[in-house]
Amino acid sequence: MSIIDKDPAEAIDLIKAGFETAGYICDRHIATSIYLSQKLDKPILVEGPPGVGKTELAKAASELLGAPMIRLQCYEGLDESKALYEWKYGKQLLYTQILKEKLGDLLEDAVGLDQSMDKLHQFGDSFYSEKFLEARPLLQALKSDVKTVLLIDEIDKSDHEFEAYLLEILSDYQISVPEIGTIKAKTKPLVFLTSNNTREMSDALKRRCLHLYIPFPDAELERRIIKTRVPELDENLRNQIVSFVQQLRTQDLKKLPAVSETIDWARTLLLLHAEKLDADMVRNTLNMLLKFEEDIENTNSDVPKLVAIAHKETR
Amino acid sequence: MDKPLAEFIEMLRYADIPVSIGESLDAAETVQLIGYDDRGLLKAALSQVMAKTVEEHDSFNRCFDEFFSYNIELDFKERNDETDEGADSIEDQSAPPEPANENEDGSSSENENGAGDGLESVEPSGDPTAPLLEMLEQNDRTALALAMTQAAGDVNLGGIVLMTQRGLFTRRIMEQMGLDQVNQEIAAREEQGDDDGAVDLAGRLETLFDAVRDMVERQLALTSSGKGKQFRQDVLKKVRLSNIEHRDFKHMREIVRRMAKRLTDMNSRIRKVKNRGHLDIRKTMRRNIAYDGIMFETHWKQKHKDRPKVLAVCDVSGSVASVARFLLLFLYSLNEVLPKVRSFAFSGTLGEVTDLFDRLGAEEAVPLAIDQFGGRSTDYGRAMEDFKDLIFDEIDNRTTVIFLGDGRSNGADPRVDILKEIKSRAKRVIWLNPERKSIWGSGDSEMLRIAPYCTTAETCNSLNKLELIIRDLLKSN
Repeated sequence: MSIIDKDPAEAIDLIKAGFETAGYICDRHIATSIYLSQKLDKPILVEGPPGVGKTELAKAASELLGAPMIRLQCYEGLDESKALYEWKYGKQLLYTQILKEKLGDLLEDAVGLDQSMDKLHQFGDSFYSEKFLEARPLLQALKSDVKTVLLIDEIDKSDHEFEAYLLEILSDYQISVPEIGTIKAKTKPLVFLTSNNTREMSDALKRRCLHLYIPFPDAELERRIIKTRVPELDENLRNQIVSFVQQLRTQDLKKLPAVSETIDWARTLLLLHAEKLDADMVRNTLNMLLKFEEDIENTNSDVPKLVAIAHKETR
Repeated sequence: MDKPLAEFIEMLRYADIPVSIGESLDAAETVQLIGYDDRGLLKAALSQVMAKTVEEHDSFNRCFDEFFSYNIELDFKERNDETDEGADSIEDQSAPPEPANENEDGSSSENENGAGDGLESVEPSGDPTAPLLEMLEQNDRTALALAMTQAAGDVNLGGIVLMTQRGLFTRRIMEQMGLDQVNQEIAAREEQGDDDGAVDLAGRLETLFDAVRDMVERQLALTSSGKGKQFRQDVLKKVRLSNIEHRDFKHMREIVRRMAKRLTDMNSRIRKVKNRGHLDIRKTMRRNIAYDGIMFETHWKQKHKDRPKVLAVCDVSGSVASVARFLLLFLYSLNEVLPKVRSFAFSGTLGEVTDLFDRLGAEEAVPLAIDQFGGRSTDYGRAMEDFKDLIFDEIDNRTTVIFLGDGRSNGADPRVDILKEIKSRAKRVIWLNPERKSIWGSGDSEMLRIAPYCTTAETCNSLNKLELIIRDLLKSN
């Protein structure tokens, strides 16, 4: 954690630079939140439109910190047995079988039921012990010896109950298993929660997190992202692509193209050996950017105009 | 926690950002980590700690800019040019953020050295004039700014609420800082014939006056706008829908949206009941075949509570024109937060507006819906027929049908037979009428005929009432 101990401004610049070498281009805002979360030991709740690199951020952080990533994908109906822990039923069953066989040997010299019970009580109660505990992602992250990055993806897809399970982990980095007790984190993981805001998170959850909103990048940032992600692309074409997409985002569309779509589109154009944007090519590949038939139809007629502006802007 | 931060947090709370105690502790820690020097960094950091939604981020940014610009107002720039501190002022103009930091540093974190002198010199209130005079003479902006903040705290500037209090507070702060004796000094200089000195000092004093006035003005904007807003919202919730004026539409929308969201949140929370109730023997046995029939895994009979399916029909005719906007607004918000709402509007003929609501923002969609369907005279019979044609097949025992209207049908048959059919198919039929019950049935009102065929028929003429009714609606499953 040497980076983190430096002077704030310096540390943040280092984080930013570190992300850049990991191929994740970000602004200072994002780097600040990584810094803060390390300093304050707080999880980060990342929100933003789909495709702006929320999950990527966690991956990049994992790479930067050299910490393995543990990912938990949320969905409706996700419960503690899939996210936190589960008992190893099969093993427990075997254990009882073994116990049954060994029971005779163990209770050999006991006389009467009472004595047998007393004897039995002398053995540890290992049926519900950590040996039989199957660690799911959240518990894995807590039990890990090295620092981990825990990504709880699309938390908004999960149920309210699940949010409540999370609270203990998020604030104290521990979970309580009723049969065993409290398990505390050996090393505090860096926790990311991502949300597309399909539903509002509860205040309790939000209070425990730093809140990072990642908007669509501006032209400058997007150019740099494309440059890193699709380095083979000619600079001129790159600028045109970015300018075109930026314009598209100002249109009235059902789903605006995000960075991931820009990257896909850039790759497509590269494959097609495009040298500059022209209206026909854009029309043919528009489905890389826009994911609704309606959007594509509405945009089709504007393509020449948008392309012309893109050319003009990048000249 | 230092005072500026506490004040800032209070301001945030007024601006509808609910900063909890825990969050303010985090904020204090953040300030300690980052300090006040790098304003951009501090803003980015604090916003993440305290603002937790996109809207909150917006208000946060606004508040931050307002709040942290206010300490740097005291500017003796004009005079600095003449005095030997000219270099300082050039820096002022060429790099605006820099002097801000330098000044901020002193005035915000009170334990700074430079600021310390200023603080001490004001503190012994027995003879505060000499320091003020000194500060003015020496252009000690940092100390002056600090003294201002100090004085403002002493006279409890944070308690300012009314426009009319501005003069009073300005005066009080100036007096606290030692206005009287500076005035005496000016008078003394005039007497001694030192006119230049007197004019100079008076000019400086005037600048300070301006700065203090500015500070008061800002404080007023900060606190009173927040308090005022809260006050207005409270009133809006209680006032009759028909009495709400057009300019409050925006606030209304915000309240309604929040209300609807709270309702759905509450509702979805009790949606699923898991691991409760009866043991499902069949499924449990099947699951445990692998374990030799020993029942390790239990399976419980689960009740899946569905999201409510809502069909809402809104009267937008002339007779309810004054409330139609808000009924539609509520419909709109319901559309935003509940996934399965289909909305209809009618005066003569009835049509679906769900799509309209999906596509457009409330400000456009609501007037458009009124435009499209409103204005004609009400015909409930016709509307019922249309409704039946359009959607009758989709009504099932999980559907809630809500009618928003006054039940005044201009003498036309309201077709309660259709309503009866709807009721027999739907889970429940709710009629919300903006008129109070005592005038139901008077004139052309058909409410007395309609009411028996509704699960509930209620008066609904204020937002609070609306919320109560809808909450009951969602709860009583």
